[in-house]
Amino acid sequence: MAVEVRCPMPGKVVSVLIKEGDQVKENNKVFVIEAMKMQIDVVAPADGTVKEVRAKEGVAMDTGAVMAVLE
Amino acid sequence: MYKNYDEIYAEYEAKKAKIEQMGGTKAVEAQKKAGKWTARERIAYFFDPGTFVEVGKWIKNRTTAFGMDQREVPAEGVVVGFGRVEGRLVAVAAEDYTTMAGTFGEYHGKKFAEMIDFAKLKGIPFVGMNDSGGARLQEGMDTLEAYAWLFRSQILASGIIPQIALLMGPCLGGQAYHPIMQDFIFQCRKTGFMGIAGPAFVKTQVGEEISLETLCGVEAHAVRSGQTAVVVEDDQDCLDKTKELLRFLPANNREKPPRIETKDDPERENPEMDTLIPPEPFIPYDMHEVITRIVDDGYFFEIFKDFAKNVIIGFARMEGRTVGIVASQPNWLAGAIDCDAADKVARFVRFCDLFNIPLLNFHDTPAYWIGSREEWKGILRHGAKMLYAYIDATVPKVTVIMRKSFAGAYLGMCCKDTGADIVFAWPVARITIVGAETAASVIFAREIREAANPKEVEEARIREYRELYENPYRAAERGYVDEVIRPRETRKYLNRALDVLENKQEVRPWRKYSNINL
Repeated sequence: MAVEVRCPMPGKVVSVLIKEGDQVKENNKVFVIEAMKMQIDVVAPADGTVKEVRAKEGVAMDTGAVMAVLE
Repeated sequence: MYKNYDEIYAEYEAKKAKIEQMGGTKAVEAQKKAGKWTARERIAYFFDPGTFVEVGKWIKNRTTAFGMDQREVPAEGVVVGFGRVEGRLVAVAAEDYTTMAGTFGEYHGKKFAEMIDFAKLKGIPFVGMNDSGGARLQEGMDTLEAYAWLFRSQILASGIIPQIALLMGPCLGGQAYHPIMQDFIFQCRKTGFMGIAGPAFVKTQVGEEISLETLCGVEAHAVRSGQTAVVVEDDQDCLDKTKELLRFLPANNREKPPRIETKDDPERENPEMDTLIPPEPFIPYDMHEVITRIVDDGYFFEIFKDFAKNVIIGFARMEGRTVGIVASQPNWLAGAIDCDAADKVARFVRFCDLFNIPLLNFHDTPAYWIGSREEWKGILRHGAKMLYAYIDATVPKVTVIMRKSFAGAYLGMCCKDTGADIVFAWPVARITIVGAETAASVIFAREIREAANPKEVEEARIREYRELYENPYRAAERGYVDEVIRPRETRKYLNRALDVLENKQEVRPWRKYSNINL
């Protein structure tokens, strides 16, 4: 079943730490976003294989936007 | 000609038993099957044994329409009275779902409203236990006006006595204004529902299909709407947590909250706090780690924990005194203040001010949240509530500036001149109007643009601004910070501040009230 990694707050993506095909474990840091002078880690909500990475470094994303899809 | 005592008492016992059996065996069974206690069981558990005095048990409605004159409605579907909770007097109105589904009619409402008036006059807290099928439509206009009695009584008691709403069953329709206008709502996870309209009405009127749980359950109100203060598991947990909250509160606005001595040394230092939070201002951490190290026994009664998580609010004790805590949460939305966070803080600050509860404010916040979404939602109007609440409040207010405190958020979280009696700052604090990057890009825009090596110049200017302004010392030089302390000393200094503020009195010239941005 596909699991989406969603953006927790509006901000700019500063690090993309995964690529398609990677194996991730629940709570692995997968992105870092920055807003309001703070860098927030985005973690995988579940174990899985990265099927799609939508977030790109330097691009702004809003709360709830899908950053990656895991399988 | 006259009845003898045996007959008199037999008649009395029979009448009383008839009322106390509520809606009858079948209805009581159904109530239990639904995972709920009856109104009388809730009362029995809530009050100290043998202390409850029922008021208005014998009240009957006066409706004759639709066969109402033939119908038994024991206690009018709401058990009302007063008793002692952990030795302290509390008034209650507990709706009885087993009796005509706890529907709210004229005399049901009258009992409710009069108990609130009673509690106000006697200066004791009021607890409402909601479990009702809604308005008793058979009574028409009389039911509608009774809502007005209830609302009027509770609003006129607001700020005089604490009022706590317990959503132990449904509370739908206009009646739901009753819990929301009390000071705090506790909602049972599986059985508590609140809403301006239930799913059936929503479907017929606006065509939306949605379940009662989704529309009116705990997720709806503890997470989305920000109306439920505490989510509880079941009736017992609900009543236990209500008692826990009551321990922090005074009986009325003329009293101070009870001081319950703890064994925790008021001068206790926490050496590990000196390096607990990251010195880099862009690295988040969980503010709970700080709060629990400072307060007595690490015990913190958090409210609204799942709504607007960028600020943390709740009650704790410091040297036995009740304190209200307002703290930024860098872990969520960078600890920036958005509309929801501002609403959450402002009403809490006003509650604490009304009930003589000192406020401790912990800053680690970059700003009010900016951008179109918050701007159009009215961040200025919402953010203003915090400024009004803090400046209007006359209770002791003590602020600790831990790390970031920038711009409007510095003012909104209670700084020296928005109401703090005493301000402490940690050496790692950065108190300024704007971050160094932004400041340098504005002040030195031209110099950077025209420089042969713009990057170098920019970095040098940022460093310069940071050295000059991003620290606690400029604010301390002006007296906006009273003392710069080590994090390990925070508890000690807060206790000393609360000590000196114990008898703080502040009198303002008469006005009706301030025109807070509601």
